[in-house]
Amino acid sequence: MLYDLGRADLRIKWLVTCLLATLGISYVFGALMVSLYAGFTPERVAATYAGRAMSMPMPPETTMVTQHPMSMADFARPEVHEVDTDLLVQDTHVHVPMYGVIAAALSLVVVGLALSQGWALALITLLFAAPWLDFAGMWLTKFVSGRFAAVTLVGGWAMGLGYVAVTALAIQQMWFRTRGVDR
Amino acid sequence: MNLLLRAAAIAAVLHITPAVVLVKRPDAVRALLPGADSYIAREVHLSAPDAHRLHELVDWSPEDGVLTFYRGQAGSTVVGALTFVRVDTPHGPIEVAVGFTPQGAVRGVIVTKATVEMKPWVLEAVGAGLVERYRALQPGDAPAGAAGLVGHTGNLAVYIAGEVDKGVARALAAYRTFYNNGHVRA
Repeated sequence: MLYDLGRADLRIKWLVTCLLATLGISYVFGALMVSLYAGFTPERVAATYAGRAMSMPMPPETTMVTQHPMSMADFARPEVHEVDTDLLVQDTHVHVPMYGVIAAALSLVVVGLALSQGWALALITLLFAAPWLDFAGMWLTKFVSGRFAAVTLVGGWAMGLGYVAVTALAIQQMWFRTRGVDR
Repeated sequence: MNLLLRAAAIAAVLHITPAVVLVKRPDAVRALLPGADSYIAREVHLSAPDAHRLHELVDWSPEDGVLTFYRGQAGSTVVGALTFVRVDTPHGPIEVAVGFTPQGAVRGVIVTKATVEMKPWVLEAVGAGLVERYRALQPGDAPAGAAGLVGHTGNLAVYIAGEVDKGVARALAAYRTFYNNGHVRA
């Protein structure tokens, strides 16, 4: 195969390394942002995306008022960052195309690795399926059941796994492999 | 259909930056309910007709159909009430805290949250005296903070003032229509 990162020109190897490093930085800060706004447990993800809609889906027949005392500590308590439908539409619009571009970029790296066709196809599928799962989980959590928060977590971890796998293989094959491996 | 078109239009231009807290909620509560030593959260769960009525008034429905007011008391004396209103803009959400006197006039307005992108616009608008323009507004009045900034600030500060106007208008309509209405459920 002509496109083999293990035997590629130094400039191509450097380009791919810089791309992977840049994506790595964005993934680290993406994880930090998730920890700030949604969290890494199914309960926190469900609270973020399902919100109060899960507990009171129908409006009452007549307007009702409930009251309860509040302390200043209650006001200071960290708020659950809730993503309502409008915001989820925005998030989906902003994130999914970028995830597609990232998955495509990583897939192009995969194509240049010395992997069997089966492993390459599996990795490419993982790279694209992860964001699909991530956002499918968010929408299902909002409209079907809070239990689908686990799907979002699986998608998020799958994104991380895909990135780590591609990066480790690429770095190893580009910079540490002493001789080529024919496929 | 209208919602879909609006969502599509918003989605077409959106690049949302992260939210930032400009004023912490406890600080906003202390400023808007001065002297209060106890607080009651009053959650108004709107019926479908009432939610529709509010939507007709200010083109807005609260998240999950629930309006939340916080009443402050100093001993047995009511100091006032406040509510936090979120306004979704094409640049992300802002949150506006609107405080009321016991007589129902606006005591003060604080922009508590914005996004990284909008923060400088908010600071410029507030620095130009935006929130002072809402003081003493009565339920039924139309906030006109943006109009007051035209010619005194940049266009983006005027733009964000228009969004704050929306938040204040929503709070005024919600307070006038529902703060003292509704059946209290045990």
